[in-house]
Amino acid sequence: MSTLALVPLLPLLGFLVNGIVGPRLPKAWVSFIGCALPALSFVLTAQLFFELRDGGEPLTTTLFTWAALPGFTVEAALYFDAVAAVMCGIVTGIGTLIHIYSIGYMHGDRSYARYFAYLNLFLFFMLLLVLGSNLLVMFVGWEGVGLASYLLIGFWFTDPVKTAAGIKAFVVNRVGDAGFLLAAFLLQWHAGTLDFQQINAFFAATPAAPAVMTAIGVLLLIGACGKSAQIPLHVWLPDAMAGPTPVSALIHAATMVTAGVYLLARMNGFFLQAPDALMVVTWVGAATAFFGATMGITQWNLKKVLAYSTMSQIGLMVMACGLGAFSAGLFHLYTHAFFKACLFLAAGAVLHALHGEEDMRNMGALARRLPFTFAVFLVATLALTGLPPFAGFFSKDEILWMAWAAPGGSPLLWAVASAASFMTAFYMFRAVFLTFLGGDRVAPDVARKLHAPSLTMTLVLAVLALDSIAAGWIGLPGSLREWLGTTAPFYAFVEPVTGHAALREGVSHSTEWLLMGVAVLLAVAGITLAWWVYGRAHRSALAQPRGGALRDWVANGYYVDALYERGVVGTLDGVSRTLLTRGIEPALAAISIALPARGAAALARSFARLQNGAVQAYVFYAAVALLVMLGWGVLRG
Amino acid sequence: MNTHALLVGLAAVLFCMGLAGVMIRRNVLAVIMSLEIMLNAVVLSFVTAATQSQTIEGAAMTLFIYVAATCEIALAMALVVLLVRRHGSLDVAAEQELKG
Amino acid sequence: MTQAFILFFGVLSVVFALLVLMLRQPMRAALALIAHMFCLAAIFAALGAHVMALLQVLIYVGAVMVFMVYTIMLLDDRDASYRHVYARMLLPALVVAALVAVALLMLLQGGAGADAAGVAEFGISAFSVAFMRQYWFHFELATVLLLIGIVVAWTTIKESR
Repeated sequence: MSTLALVPLLPLLGFLVNGIVGPRLPKAWVSFIGCALPALSFVLTAQLFFELRDGGEPLTTTLFTWAALPGFTVEAALYFDAVAAVMCGIVTGIGTLIHIYSIGYMHGDRSYARYFAYLNLFLFFMLLLVLGSNLLVMFVGWEGVGLASYLLIGFWFTDPVKTAAGIKAFVVNRVGDAGFLLAAFLLQWHAGTLDFQQINAFFAATPAAPAVMTAIGVLLLIGACGKSAQIPLHVWLPDAMAGPTPVSALIHAATMVTAGVYLLARMNGFFLQAPDALMVVTWVGAATAFFGATMGITQWNLKKVLAYSTMSQIGLMVMACGLGAFSAGLFHLYTHAFFKACLFLAAGAVLHALHGEEDMRNMGALARRLPFTFAVFLVATLALTGLPPFAGFFSKDEILWMAWAAPGGSPLLWAVASAASFMTAFYMFRAVFLTFLGGDRVAPDVARKLHAPSLTMTLVLAVLALDSIAAGWIGLPGSLREWLGTTAPFYAFVEPVTGHAALREGVSHSTEWLLMGVAVLLAVAGITLAWWVYGRAHRSALAQPRGGALRDWVANGYYVDALYERGVVGTLDGVSRTLLTRGIEPALAAISIALPARGAAALARSFARLQNGAVQAYVFYAAVALLVMLGWGVLRG
Repeated sequence: MNTHALLVGLAAVLFCMGLAGVMIRRNVLAVIMSLEIMLNAVVLSFVTAATQSQTIEGAAMTLFIYVAATCEIALAMALVVLLVRRHGSLDVAAEQELKG
Repeated sequence: MTQAFILFFGVLSVVFALLVLMLRQPMRAALALIAHMFCLAAIFAALGAHVMALLQVLIYVGAVMVFMVYTIMLLDDRDASYRHVYARMLLPALVVAALVAVALLMLLQGGAGADAAGVAEFGISAFSVAFMRQYWFHFELATVLLLIGIVVAWTTIKESR
């Protein structure tokens, strides 16, 4: 068993043990198994990473030959190169941290073992997704994380709202999966292979017709949209906050929702030959970044704010991929994983302390009651808004620079992305002011039971907060690098696989400095505006939300959800009620139920008529049988 | 044609005529008579075999067939009497008690 | 000569068998059956099996058919079976029986081998001696069977009163 194969299989073992015998084991054992196996995976990943970094070749492990048909062979194989190493490290590292956090968060829960089993199952599938060397293995992981997401969102399944959220997530994911599969079919048809390296090489050498390339690219994008909650398949992410907060941190911030970005980055060789598809990708990402940010402004639920923020940030990553800056997108994925997980876990600490209260209108002035949580949340928010020297600044800045300077970019695109960043700063600090500062709106009975987060939760939060500060330092933007005279290890590591994005002609480094300054100014401006509106203890600002009809429109997600509900679900419902129930169902029932029943009865009756008590008839049957036997003898010669 | 082959063929024909009689006559006694025709056909084939191979085994067999036929007729007549007592007629169809 | 004899009586036996099938009154059918058995006895005699011919007439005609005639005399009545001679499945039964005959004939072709050398063991004394030498035990068992038959017949009739 090779080291690489062990990485996904250890969490699978954890799933099996905790899933089958977990409820009968003592909680300590469940926790240990649930956390130690992912930790072990992380150690193995680190070992493989160091081997790779020190001049190793990308590693391939074939587990078995899945199908060997004439003209179509596919292996169940894992592939470990720089990009996979980054993703693997994030998944196992942050995954392990969140497992440890869950020990404290889920402490009193009835289904403790089931939770850890599902979480390990998720890790297994996510690792398959990331390590898969061809589209088919990746699809197994793709579907699997969708399943794990459904199981975990609807974890408290006795509540119908939560199960509905889980179902919604799964169904919307499925729509994306259809795009993924169609793209896979087309790729197999044109390139004759599903292996990533071969596909990238094939299309780099012989690109197909532009229409085909665009079609495949758009279909892949649809798949990515489904998983990464981009427009128009974003409707499931806010509802997914119904699951436990560590789940939101792991799946809907750091790992599963980034699978779409990973897919785009993996297929970089292909996408670079499909410029039209890349244009679509760019603008879908930018639109999601912008509109996600607008929706974040209007939310009162703390976790939903973070959900829209995730959607928006991933939009930036997708946009970066569309511009050909895959390495920049990956870097933002990397830093975002840290501070977004930190934000979610800190929000989880708040929720845990307030015994499940999620509405920010019932919070406030928690900074003095939960000082450590406040500090961590503040650090992560600063990272998210992109202030130096926190992590988010370096990665987001690179993307904004690409939005201006890449061949597919333009000042307009940069403006849209910058507006999204401005709004991000605004609504994140709005959340900070409403939750931790300002007037105390916590209900008295809740306030009495308030408690600080437990040890495991605190430790994990500390680690993530530190990372939110430091993670960005390995990927300094180009101009900063020149100024400081250092290298960017992240880009150096990843770019042999993803390539370096080209720039337009005529852009200079001074523009980069200028844009960097503008970005910082916008972030500060957003924070200031948030303080002006929310930070000055204005209770009235909360009592009558301003904006009227526009606000309602935005707050309800631009009524996209309602559109889907009425358009898609309503249509299907109507068809089912009229055509299927009244038209096809009676016919099918008659054919498949009534007919065999009556046929069997008729057959039985006809056989019954043979037994009429007439002895001569029985002799006749015997004579017929005799004739048959004799006839057979005659025919046999 | 060989006499013996002819007689074997005759035995087969008589057997089938007896079979037909069992199936088509409505009088119980006629049915039993057809049964006797079948038995006789068998006896004929045995005797033919005996004379053809000049052994007495076939002839001994016919003797025992006669014994069986005698017993059979005795019992058959007893049963016929019982049947007539029960159903009041010699009609085979009258003895049909199942509805089918 | 013998062959013509056998042929003649063979055809006659078929005719009488046909009459058994077709005659409406049971008594007439019984008489046709007796005639059929006489024809068969003639065939046995022509074949040289005199003992068999003898026994055929004595036992079959003399015992079995007499018994049947007794019963007919006792029970004959103009009932439903007199009005309708044939059962409902006349045609299918005839067809099946005919097909069985055809199949049998086809299967029995080439079955009869060559005639062996004739040693007339079928004279009465010769046959009796040979028979009693080999089959005396079976003979005794057959008498037991007859006894059982008598007892059962009597019991069947008796119990129903």
